[in-house]
Amino acid sequence: MKDKRMTLFNFVRGAAAILISLAVGTVFIFLTFALAEKHYTFGECLENTGEALRYMLIGPLFKKTGDFNTMGLFQILAAMIPITFTGLATCVMFSANQFNLAGEGSVMAGGFVAALCGIYLKMNTGLHAVVCIVVAAAVCALIMLIPALLKVKLGASEMVTSLMMNYVIMYVVLHFLNVHFADRSKGSTQTFPFAATSKIGEIIPNGSKLTWGFVIAMVFVVLTALFMYRTRWGYAIRMIGANQSFAKYSGMKVGGTIVLSQVVGGMLAGMGGGIEVMGRFNTFLWKELPGYGWTGVTIAILAKNNPIFVPLAAFFIAYLNKGCSLMSTYCNVPSEMIDIIQAAIFLFFAAEQFLSGYRQKLVVKNTRADLMKTAEGRKA
Amino acid sequence: MFSQLMSMVLTEDFLFSIIRITAPILFAALGAVVAEKAGVTNIGLEGTMMISALLGMLVSYWTQSWVLGVLMAVLVGILLGLMMGFFNLKLKTDIILAGIAVNMLGGGGTIFLLNMLVHMKGNTGSLSSANILIPTINIPLIDRIPVLRSLLSGHSVLTYVAFLSVLLVWILLYRTSLGLNIRAVGENANAASSVGVSVNKIRYIAIGISGAFAGLGGAFMSMYYSQGWNSGMVAGRGFIALAAQAMGRGEPVGAMLSSLLFGLAQALKNKVTGLTGLASYNYLVASIPYIVTIVGLVIYAASTIRRAKRHRKASEEK
Repeated sequence: MKDKRMTLFNFVRGAAAILISLAVGTVFIFLTFALAEKHYTFGECLENTGEALRYMLIGPLFKKTGDFNTMGLFQILAAMIPITFTGLATCVMFSANQFNLAGEGSVMAGGFVAALCGIYLKMNTGLHAVVCIVVAAAVCALIMLIPALLKVKLGASEMVTSLMMNYVIMYVVLHFLNVHFADRSKGSTQTFPFAATSKIGEIIPNGSKLTWGFVIAMVFVVLTALFMYRTRWGYAIRMIGANQSFAKYSGMKVGGTIVLSQVVGGMLAGMGGGIEVMGRFNTFLWKELPGYGWTGVTIAILAKNNPIFVPLAAFFIAYLNKGCSLMSTYCNVPSEMIDIIQAAIFLFFAAEQFLSGYRQKLVVKNTRADLMKTAEGRKA
Repeated sequence: MFSQLMSMVLTEDFLFSIIRITAPILFAALGAVVAEKAGVTNIGLEGTMMISALLGMLVSYWTQSWVLGVLMAVLVGILLGLMMGFFNLKLKTDIILAGIAVNMLGGGGTIFLLNMLVHMKGNTGSLSSANILIPTINIPLIDRIPVLRSLLSGHSVLTYVAFLSVLLVWILLYRTSLGLNIRAVGENANAASSVGVSVNKIRYIAIGISGAFAGLGGAFMSMYYSQGWNSGMVAGRGFIALAAQAMGRGEPVGAMLSSLLFGLAQALKNKVTGLTGLASYNYLVASIPYIVTIVGLVIYAASTIRRAKRHRKASEEK
């Protein structure tokens, strides 16, 4: 009974945080119309805001006629693939209290390495794609050793190193893309196309880009959850995150575990980058950091660092992302709205004391009820 | 090629550009120093710089006054700092996450704001004009002495403010009671609290000051350095500032020296990018400032550990 109420409270709290974030977004959408070049009346502004909200919140899954948009659902599921991986990566690293933010760079590095394997290796269908992804994951795991070892051996802040590494990775990838691997016959900078054997195919070939990568992502959600909650390494990671000194004095290998959490994080992020590139595109054409790493942080926060909730959070963000891009296409509200909403989610969802007064009341009420019960029990 | 580079580096122009490039990093690094002294890691410097750069620039355009623009940038910086403070201190959001939120606002939110306020995409392009840029000051006499003149004369008002701020922050931290409280709160919040210092109040003040410095850095970027606002303008300077703070051992003068080192790296990058024959290495060269930052952090961390070891050995021998 007590636990049920607390779960309900946590649910309500999360919902309230999301509602507030959407409300903040709504205010900005309204302001966009109120300040638009074309002078709308107050009524028109409200009407346009309503229309924009409809596109953002209902548009991704329902057409204007009210019919269910199956293609939309496929596209949202497809968009979940990379951010599920970065979300998982962030969960593992943040669980150990390691604020490593190089997921962003890892996605780009992983994508690039996978692309190179896809272009220059010759292998059988199926095996080829697997090799691409494994190599991408391995390279990113190695990259993450840098901030991890610097943290453990020298005490250098993994946060600052990883932030700097994002830029370094971006420029190094751009260097090799532009100077060594560019297909000069094309107008924009891109690599040669991947070999057909290395492509990750769609589950249902309908152009939605919902590839088998989605299935791999879901498998890794389960694997990561098992790793975190059913192995001693996962336990050590969570223990160190909860109380590093306690973990140390109870004999855990703190350094090794910190390194492990970041290497696993890098592996997951790199895998996500590889799968995204090999599934969605035919050549490597990212010219800047793709942003999936930061989205991964939002997802980890929404999932409260629990891998099992990552798909749910990823679905929510992918849905909102789709909604924002629809809103920008049809209502001329910039799709960057998603960043404002995400920032608000960050602030409220991660706020431990948000609605704490209400929780206090709940605790008091529960305790009173318990006391009454024991008192009654004694009387009887 | 090397001689070409040397001849470019050994010019007054190069010295001048180091100072110019260092200033915004220094502002943000001082912001990081003040916050960190109070025990708050302000990772939101990057986003704060972006937002205050945009709003400062726009206010200067609307009012045609650079002073009002700079004041606006500072105000925005303070407000963002206090917002982070509110969420961290009152609602207990992790300070790192609050900072990332501010950075998200700085990344996408600014593009949204730009479109909302002046209906432009990605940059302010034509809005800035010479009269609303931060003016430069030529110091008489010094502007005739070679070498010295490029270090001391002809810089923007805010460049002088940046380097003077090093002194101001030092005075604030070590010669005022507020500074004593800030350091006490950062050193041991419980102890400070037990002698009647309001920890939260001090932290609000510290993060507000930190935001104000980031605001100045932002104003410098959009109203002098880039002469306009664009979405890729700050390019990690807020993060580099965090590294400068760490490398400078959290002290204002140390932060200035490490900011100068990063300024040098960036200036070198700008020079090398212009060299013919190196054109195919432009992207690698662009990563130099970030690599220098990592290397700098490593050297700093390694030296700290060695010093700690030596200290331990010395005390054991006693």
